[in-house]
Amino acid sequence: MTADPRATTAAAQYALLAALTAGGQAPPGFDETRIRTQAHALLTKRQRVARAHHTWLADALGPGYTAAFTAYARAHPLPAGRTGHADAEAFETYLRDRGELPARPRGRFRRRAGTPRRRGR
Amino acid sequence: MSGAVPDLGYGIGWRPAIDLTVERLPGVDFVEAIAEGLDPARLPPSLTALRARGVPAIPHGVSLSLGGAERPDPRKLAHLAACATALDTPLVSEHIAFTRAGGLDAGHLLPLPRTRETLAVLAENIRIAQDQLPVPLALENIAPLLAWPGDELTEGRFLYEVADRTGALLLLDVANLHAARVNLGVDPSAVLAELPLEQVAYVHVAGGVERDGLWHDTHTHPPTAPVLDLLTDLAGRTRIPGVLLERDGDYPSDPELAGELAAVRSAVARAGPAKPRGTGRTPAPHTRGPRADEPADPPHPAPHTAAPGPARRRADGP
Repeated sequence: MTADPRATTAAAQYALLAALTAGGQAPPGFDETRIRTQAHALLTKRQRVARAHHTWLADALGPGYTAAFTAYARAHPLPAGRTGHADAEAFETYLRDRGELPARPRGRFRRRAGTPRRRGR
Repeated sequence: MSGAVPDLGYGIGWRPAIDLTVERLPGVDFVEAIAEGLDPARLPPSLTALRARGVPAIPHGVSLSLGGAERPDPRKLAHLAACATALDTPLVSEHIAFTRAGGLDAGHLLPLPRTRETLAVLAENIRIAQDQLPVPLALENIAPLLAWPGDELTEGRFLYEVADRTGALLLLDVANLHAARVNLGVDPSAVLAELPLEQVAYVHVAGGVERDGLWHDTHTHPPTAPVLDLLTDLAGRTRIPGVLLERDGDYPSDPELAGELAAVRSAVARAGPAKPRGTGRTPAPHTRGPRADEPADPPHPAPHTAAPGPARRRADGP
């Protein structure tokens, strides 16, 4: 056993996680196909979590949501400790900065107190 | 540290999306709630109602990263401890996994290399967590999609060492054991033979799906026969204190969910009469002697011999 198990553990786990989420090379000895499968599973879960916080954005982007989120996630690996809520917000900011944020639907979200509820938009 | 394992019976994962379903489902003896989704100062009314009926609610952490290189985050530990106190729970649970490393987050539970070096770090992290928690900690085996190179210990031996070094209880997920079988070729029988079965606090059962030869632990399907067969196998080896069904999406109708819970009960019943705790384990080196606090023939009924409903409630519940 090495002198500092925490240091070697940190290096090994970072190398794997970087390969899974940050475009790093697969560390030696790992099955590269499995790395890709796990990476895809992590990306899918991250997207599912963000989407659940953001139904209006998922509706607005429609089938383009997955491609847009994938591009965002590849450029911005999930930082340690970030919640799904914060990740959804960061995705929104990413799209806004690029001029790709769709207009947020009005009506449903702008109803003031005392205004009668309208059916539909 | 571990103390006596309380009888839990049959339970289901409490989730906000199915709170009323879980509240009203007959035969739910205990529940489990994701700790990260709870505010201990403002518990959801549904959990409060369940607790008022004496149904135990176990906080289940998913982000402590106990297998990570860093010591567990004191704020996350304090949160888990506060959840345990607010819910007046008999135990809390977490995972044998890492979720973060070097500023990156997996957003998910990743497997650990089964080495003595990892074991040393993991055991120290678990002891740090135990020191901060007001109740015993149970640790769960995860569903692996990939394996580390250079494993030094078998899955069963690794779990044995974790429990032995820390006194932690085990939360044995039979669906994840099935995932390890399909994805990594792990033999579940060998794992069960090596485990300290007397330290299994409860068992997880969940559905998943096999795609392209890999098992994906989705929690959005009903438990399949191979998973229920593993539950039967385990129930034939030891008296299981509790079994909990996990469902995390594509929720079925209430009757279907009740049917899944009934299938879980049947799988345990198929094993026949309960055995005393801990039988069936192959004695491993470094095994401690029998614990004084562990009766050979426990006075509490096992899940499949217990009456459902009020009789299953904790005697010390509110």
